[in-house]
Amino acid sequence: MSDTPEDLRHEIRQWLADNAPGDWRDQSTHEGFVASQRAWFAQLVAAGYAVPHWPGEWPGGGRSLAEQKIIYEELARADTPRLLLSFVSTYHAAATLMECASKEQAAHYLPRILKGETWCQGFSEPGAGSDLAAIRTKAVRRGDVYVVSGQKIWSTMAQYADMCLLLVRTSSEGAKQAGMTYLLMDMTLPGVSVRPIHQIQGDEEFAEIFLDEVEIPVSQRVGEEGAGWAVAQATLASERGLTLMELSYRMRGAMTRLVSEIAGTDRTEDRGVLRDLGALATRVDAVCALADRFLQKRMEDEEKIGDASVVKLAYARCLRAWAEMGVTLSGLSGQLHAPITYGDLNSGNWMADFMNSYAWTIAGGSDEVQRNIIAERMLGMPREPRGWKLEAGQ
Amino acid sequence: MSTMRRELEDSALKAFPHWEVVREREQARATVAELGWFMAGVPEDMGGLGLSRAELGVIFAQLGRALVPGGLVAQFLAVEALAGAQAFAGRDELLESAMAGEPLTASLAIGREGLEAVPDADLASHVLVRGVQEIALVALEGATIEPTPAWDTSRALFSVKPAEGGARLVLASGAEAAALNARLDELACLALAGDALGGASAVLAISIDYLGTRRQFDRPLAMFQALKHRAADLKAAIDTASALYDASSDARGTAMGAMKAHCCEVYKQVAEEAVQFHGGIGLTVEYPVHLFLKRAFLNRELGGSAGFWNERAGRALLEA
Repeated sequence: MSDTPEDLRHEIRQWLADNAPGDWRDQSTHEGFVASQRAWFAQLVAAGYAVPHWPGEWPGGGRSLAEQKIIYEELARADTPRLLLSFVSTYHAAATLMECASKEQAAHYLPRILKGETWCQGFSEPGAGSDLAAIRTKAVRRGDVYVVSGQKIWSTMAQYADMCLLLVRTSSEGAKQAGMTYLLMDMTLPGVSVRPIHQIQGDEEFAEIFLDEVEIPVSQRVGEEGAGWAVAQATLASERGLTLMELSYRMRGAMTRLVSEIAGTDRTEDRGVLRDLGALATRVDAVCALADRFLQKRMEDEEKIGDASVVKLAYARCLRAWAEMGVTLSGLSGQLHAPITYGDLNSGNWMADFMNSYAWTIAGGSDEVQRNIIAERMLGMPREPRGWKLEAGQ
Repeated sequence: MSTMRRELEDSALKAFPHWEVVREREQARATVAELGWFMAGVPEDMGGLGLSRAELGVIFAQLGRALVPGGLVAQFLAVEALAGAQAFAGRDELLESAMAGEPLTASLAIGREGLEAVPDADLASHVLVRGVQEIALVALEGATIEPTPAWDTSRALFSVKPAEGGARLVLASGAEAAALNARLDELACLALAGDALGGASAVLAISIDYLGTRRQFDRPLAMFQALKHRAADLKAAIDTASALYDASSDARGTAMGAMKAHCCEVYKQVAEEAVQFHGGIGLTVEYPVHLFLKRAFLNRELGGSAGFWNERAGRALLEA
């Protein structure tokens, strides 16, 4: 363990110089993606950089905010792959297990996450995206199992997952939120089938999960029956802040990709291009500063309703502008199809990154939902009238 | 920082509770002097309060929020120049009277030669003349001072031509002039960016109030999602720019200029939408939104335009 933040920076930079996988984009095609992600995750776990946000009793955990920032800054600077495959495991699943699950559940699953067990999240449904409380996947208790039937969608990396954070409906009485229950589901159980979703950029990052009379032991429930909504909130809150900070830093690090589109061309003296680049870089800096400030507020318990929405909206819109500038600068060559790489915002192909940027303006609460939260909760603008019904002929 | 920040904000709210309280530039200058703000950035051993740039930034945002009129940014620049000057006879007395609000002025047109866009030159005893090789405080006695009326009537701007052979106090020359010029550019950008963010927050708040009051189609305008979403985008833009502003108080050179350009673009965006939010009455002189709109556009040009700073920022990135 390092003594000062700058010692840590030196230490991780040295480690990355020796260990960062330089060729990850070539390996992160369909066939190699899972293996290269697992290998990189295992390396980070061994070195103590995989879960700096976990509590101190875990290897590499217990890092201060300043230390976490340094780790993310250096991972971004070294252009390392983002941990897409283990993202749900180390953030959503870990937070749920640490904050809401029983001691036995946490003790069973947390070490397995560090060994590479992959989790996915079964929240959204075809009829319940932003309106999460509208889920219909049904669980009926029969003895010491819940029998679950229904369909989940937009589950990131579900096709590779070992376990699933599953939100189900155990009752249709009362408020929509009141009848929800939270389960930990083994993806190998009979009745579970997964179908990847082919996305516009050629990736299959999301999948659908079909559940047909799946029997999940009651011991796999987190919290009480009917308390699933509150647990789900804890799950969703877990990644806010840190992730957006990491992503913002990665976007700042990836400004070098825009620069390399310009360097060595006659556009180095194109004042319009220079101005666009300068304005965008400043906007990226602003998003980083916003993410820093948000995290600081969280640490000091000063977060207000809507703050997280502002960060997500600002990041998502800036990412879109960033990728779009790359598409524009890359010209016709940027329109040529390239082998598909899982790289999130930084795959090496501008059009793929641009199309992927839509995920951030839609997933985890669309921009429109964030705007409603900001307008109603931060600016005090009134809600629209409730109880609206579609009339015949509309 | 946060206690001092709160104290500064509280005293600003007392002195300038609302945009229309102080509309007269000499009164505004006297109030700011009384609050001690002109001495805020001067080191304590020179008779100032020794506050940091971050704390000065709070002051500038408050001046912008209340649309405080006059050549206050120019006065802050002159004070900074005097405090950073090499010693000369009478420097301390001049600094002391400048901190007390005795008008000095300076051009706010960064990146250009000459003395255009000089606020309050008609009131000032001296103008700061910033050359590449030399920075001097030149007496305005006998100078040609032409008013250049701007759309933003909260600032009185002049074009100044000092008298030939007039009194000239050299504050810095050579490498020292370069360093002082950089400091002054940074301070001007910080001041204008703060003014922009204070103004943007204020005009958004005025607009939200209005949208909540004005009814159309049997409901308040504030209930329409088309308007709520635009207001939310503006709020997000202001928060983002304000995070950058807070993180940039000690930024240097181009980074500070690019920050200023960003904040001023956000002000322009918010002020433009504010006129639209107000509908027809946004076009009337009785409603204050046009004052913010005009100030936003002037702030964008003062201290170097977005084009000027963004081009530099882009070039710096290419050369990094």
